[in-house]
Amino acid sequence: MSYLVSFHMGWLIGSLLLGFCMGWISVVQRGNGTSKVTARWLAVLVAGLVAASFAQVVPGRFGYWLDLGLVMFACYLVGCTIGAWLRDRVVSRSQPAA
Amino acid sequence: MQKLFRWASKWWLGLIPLAVMWGFAAWNNTVPVEADLSARSAAALKDTVLDKTRIAVDGRDISLAADAFSEEGRRDAVAAVESVPGVRLVDDRTRLVAEAKPFVWNAERDVVRVTLSGSAPLPAMKGRLTEAARKELGGVEVADQMGLARGAPPRFEAAAMLLLDQIGKLKDGKITISDSKVSLSGMARDLGGREAIAAALKNLPEGFAVAANDVKAPPYIFQAYKDPVAATVTLTGYVPDNDVHASIASSASRKFSEKIVDNLKASIGAPGSFNTAVVAALGALSRLSTGTLVVSDREVKLSGDALYEGAANDIRAGLGKDFPKAWQYKPEITVKPAAGPVDGSVCQQLFSELLGKGRIRFEAKRSTIDPDSAGLLDRLIETALRCPTTNIEVAGHTDSDGEDAFNRALSEKRAQAVIDYLVKAGLPADRFTAVGYGSTQPVAGNDTDVGKAQNRRIEFLVR
Repeated sequence: MSYLVSFHMGWLIGSLLLGFCMGWISVVQRGNGTSKVTARWLAVLVAGLVAASFAQVVPGRFGYWLDLGLVMFACYLVGCTIGAWLRDRVVSRSQPAA
Repeated sequence: MQKLFRWASKWWLGLIPLAVMWGFAAWNNTVPVEADLSARSAAALKDTVLDKTRIAVDGRDISLAADAFSEEGRRDAVAAVESVPGVRLVDDRTRLVAEAKPFVWNAERDVVRVTLSGSAPLPAMKGRLTEAARKELGGVEVADQMGLARGAPPRFEAAAMLLLDQIGKLKDGKITISDSKVSLSGMARDLGGREAIAAALKNLPEGFAVAANDVKAPPYIFQAYKDPVAATVTLTGYVPDNDVHASIASSASRKFSEKIVDNLKASIGAPGSFNTAVVAALGALSRLSTGTLVVSDREVKLSGDALYEGAANDIRAGLGKDFPKAWQYKPEITVKPAAGPVDGSVCQQLFSELLGKGRIRFEAKRSTIDPDSAGLLDRLIETALRCPTTNIEVAGHTDSDGEDAFNRALSEKRAQAVIDYLVKAGLPADRFTAVGYGSTQPVAGNDTDVGKAQNRRIEFLVR
């Protein structure tokens, strides 16, 4: 894991920033998100991929790409969470003043 | 938490650019990751002993194929690659090097190169053996055709190194280690080489034994060349020791009136009865006008020109009897073309020259001619044949030791013995008269041994 992180640091920071932006936007964005059913299916899919990665059942380059994708996805989620949380704090602080 | 789920439901949009980034990252980094892991794995295997190592990388998975020399070495190699940071899976395709039974190693020498073949237990040892061979043979090509195998006997390297030291002493041949048995065959480079190899084999490491040592010694050569123009007899080749050397040198100086050029070297390895055979062969050479004697092991080759037909027959037929048993004698004797006739005064001059350079020798106090004088007598006969119309007085002289009557009788008997020799060689008896002067006509003082030796003589006087 540490090897993957150190070797792809640039890409992971990029994922983190992308997530941060998405999180920042998501707080104030209007409109519907994914339905609960779809979100569940997505969660199951990601859990399955994580399980496949830990079980090392995907061979060769595909296994490497899977690991890389999941690490980038994890960074994206972390970025989203931070972005959304910060935006939420900014929004909630500005509302009482208004 | 409710809020988080509400926000998260809108994050999926970012997955599209994330997927694009992922694609770029994979496209951009796959080859560098594989190259990096391959280099790190190779570095991790640097201290392990493997042969034919091949590392293939697929993503972060390593496929390691190699020949290992022990089960432990094999495990260590796989563990070393597994511990490389970043490696996900290791496909262990290592195998143990085949075990050789019997474990055979060869070193073969021919005219141009030394070939090392068979099996070596480790790659490093293979390199050391090749290097040792190069060092030992300095300049000779060394071909390494050794394979690698398990199953070498203990202390194999020490044994192989010792045997490589011996390959330098061979002209051609083969040295083999088969398990713990050592076999040698071929021809030693120098005289004494065979014995040196046999002595070195006593130092083989514990557990090794000599199964066969068929190293042959090179032929033991002795040569003598009689050159009538330079008036020299050149001795070359080998003699067994200094005693035999002295014996042959003194025998040669008695037999030849020419200057002896002694280039003999002492070396072991002479065949039995060497001294007897060489002295006999030198006697035959002394009777030739020009000739070459080659003694090779137990074979004697004598070629050259005898001074007259009778001498040629004598040399061809007689010498074989003088040789020890198991020796072969191969004479190639021709007869020197007869020199033109000369008158009596020239004949006298020739006799005086011959008897000035050499003396006819007899046994002490007896009239039996010493065989060493055969060469000189042949020359006297050849000269006598050139002036067939002359009569010759053969005069015997002694030193002053002993009674006069005895000396006179002895000198006459010796003169008669010489005439008998000449007649036996084919000269007419009526041309010769034997006269014994005893000690009445000394040519030097009788008070020294040198003077006495000069006084004991035979003279030829043309009448």
